[in-house]
Amino acid sequence: MTLVESATTPHRRSAPMGRLLGAELRWVLRRPRTLVMLGLFALVPILIAVGVVVADRSGGGLIGAIAGNGLVLPVAAMTLMLALLLPLAVAMAAADAIAGEAAHGTLRGLLLAPVGRGRLVVMKAFGVLVVAVVATLVVAVVGVIAGLVVVGGADGTLVTLSGTTLGLGEAMGRVGIAALWTVGQLAAVGAVALAISAFTEHPLVVLASVLGGLIVFGVLGAIPALDWLQPYLLTTGFSAGADVLRDPTTWGELGSSTLRALCYMAIGGGITTSRMLTRDA
Amino acid sequence: MASRRGWARVGMGVAVAGAVGLGLLAVPAGAGAAPELPPVSAEDLVTSVVEAKDPGPLHATVTLDNALGLPAIPGVPQAANGTSTAQVWSDGAGKGRLSVPSGQGEKTIVDDGTTVWAWDSADKTVTKKAVGTEQKPPQADVTDPAAAAQKAVADLRATSTVAVDGTAEVAGRPAYELVLRPLPTERTLLREVRVAVDSEKRLPLRLTVLANGSSDPALQVGFTELEFGAQDPGMFTFTPPPGATVTEAPDRPGDAQKPQRPEPKVVGDGWDTVVIATMPPADAQQQGGRDGAPDLSSIGKEVSGPWGSGREIDTAVATAIITSDGRVAAGAVPAQVLTEALSQ
Repeated sequence: MTLVESATTPHRRSAPMGRLLGAELRWVLRRPRTLVMLGLFALVPILIAVGVVVADRSGGGLIGAIAGNGLVLPVAAMTLMLALLLPLAVAMAAADAIAGEAAHGTLRGLLLAPVGRGRLVVMKAFGVLVVAVVATLVVAVVGVIAGLVVVGGADGTLVTLSGTTLGLGEAMGRVGIAALWTVGQLAAVGAVALAISAFTEHPLVVLASVLGGLIVFGVLGAIPALDWLQPYLLTTGFSAGADVLRDPTTWGELGSSTLRALCYMAIGGGITTSRMLTRDA
Repeated sequence: MASRRGWARVGMGVAVAGAVGLGLLAVPAGAGAAPELPPVSAEDLVTSVVEAKDPGPLHATVTLDNALGLPAIPGVPQAANGTSTAQVWSDGAGKGRLSVPSGQGEKTIVDDGTTVWAWDSADKTVTKKAVGTEQKPPQADVTDPAAAAQKAVADLRATSTVAVDGTAEVAGRPAYELVLRPLPTERTLLREVRVAVDSEKRLPLRLTVLANGSSDPALQVGFTELEFGAQDPGMFTFTPPPGATVTEAPDRPGDAQKPQRPEPKVVGDGWDTVVIATMPPADAQQQGGRDGAPDLSSIGKEVSGPWGSGREIDTAVATAIITSDGRVAAGAVPAQVLTEALSQ
C-alpha cells in the first residue's frame, strides 16, 4: 500500500505518485482500443451462455458443467479466456506502455522528465495491472450475470465438481478466488510483456512474442518427452482455475501456479526495472 | 547516476532470484534425510503391520505413479503411464469419502454408513446403493496401499528374501522400508517390491514395484499427504445436487455373470506364478466387449509356438499372452515362462 501512502504525503518535491498513477489510469482506460476490447470480452461469457442453452446437450469438461449450473460460467469463461484472450489484453497494454511510447517518440519526454525512472516503471506496471484486473472483472461479472440470467442456476446455488451444493455467497467467494488467481497469472504475463516492451520500439514485437511464447509453451507442455519442462512453463498451471469448483478446494495446483507466476513476475519486473534505469533517454 | 546503476543491479538481482525460484519450484519435494529409527526385524515389522490397529480418522492424498507401460485403455486413464491422485477421508468408524479428480471433472464416492453414493461430474449422475451396517466400505484395492501391501507380503514370503532396508520419509512421516526380493531361482521380471511402513502407526504408507533393467519404479502407490485426527462430519454425508440424475445401483452386478466363467488355472508358485484363464467366446469379444470390457484385439504382437498362436502383450512388470483359442496366460514373468505354462 505504498501507493496510498505516497499519495497522501504532502511534502513531496516531485509529482506525487497518486497523480502519476491517476494519469496513467486515465491514459490506459480512455484508449478506444482498450474499451473496445473490454466490450468484446464481455460478449464471450454471454456467447458461451447462449451456446450452452441452445445446444441443450451435456458435453464433457467445464463447458458441459455449465448446463443448468450457471455459476460455473464465470469460472469456465475465465479459464477459457486465460489461454489467449486475457493475455492478449495484457500484452497490448504492456506493448503500448513502453514500446508504444518509444514508437511515438513520447518515451524520451518521460525519461527526461523530473520523474524518477523507478517511479516510471511502477506507473507503467500499474497501468498494465489495471488492464488485467478490469478485463478479468468484466469477464467474471458478466459471467455471473449471464450464468444466473441466461443459463439459470441450480436454484441460485453452485453445484461443485465434487457433487456438493454451495450457496450464492460461497459461490461468489469461489468466483472471487478464481478471479484473483487469474489476475495473478495475467500479472506474470504482463511483467514479461513489459520486459520485452522495454527492449523494443515496436509494439507488435511485444504482442507477437507474448502470444507466440504462450503458444510455444502450450506446445512444449503437450510433448510427453519434454514433461520435465512442465514445472518451468507458466502455461502448465493455466487449467488450475477449475480447482475452485471442487469441494473442498484443492489448493495444490492453485498454489504452485501462483508461486510460478510470482517467479515470472520477479523475472519480468526485475529485467524491466534494470533496463529502464540504464537505457539512454 | 551511481544509485540508478545500483538499482538497476538490484533489478537484475530480482530477475535472477525469480529464475532461481522457478528452478527451485521445479525440483520435486524430494526425500529428506532418512530418519533415524530403532532397528526392527522384518518378522516383527510384518507382524506389527498385520496386527496394527485401525489408524482412526484421517485425511490423505494418495498418488499413483504408473510406469507399467500398459497400452492406453479408453475409459481408464489411470491404467496408462502417468501420475494420478485421489483424496481419501475416513472417520475411523466405517464412513468414508473418496474423491478422484480428473482434468476438468471429478468422481466422488461417499459412504455415509448406510448408503454409498457415487457421483460423476462428467454426466452429473449419482448412483446410490444401500449397504448393510456389517459390511465393510468398498475400497479399491489399487488405491488402498494398506490392503495392497499386506497382500503382497503374505503372498511373497515363501519365495522371497524379506528384509528391512533402511528408513524413508513418506508423506512427512518416518517409515521403515520393507524390501522383498525374489530368490535367485525365481524367473520373474520383478527386481524388488518395497513397502514403506509408518514407524508409529505401522500403517503401510507406500508400495513401490521395481522391475529388472530400470532404476525408476514401475509402479508406486502411496500417501503423499497424510494427517490423522477428527474429520469434518460433513465430509461423510452426501445430498444429490439439484439437476443430478439419481439411479439405484443394481444388486451386485458382477456376481450374476461371473459364475459362468471357469476357474483360472494356476501354474507355478511364488514370483513366477502364471495364471491361465479362458476368455469369453471370441464372437462376443469382437462386438466391442460384452460387459464393457475393453477391446484387446488390436494390441500386442503376434507370437506362435508349439502351444498355438496368439498375441503377446509386454509391460514393465508383467507379460500376457492371449491365444487364438481364447486362453489368456499372464504373470510377472518373461514370455518364455508363459509359453512353457501354456504347453503344459
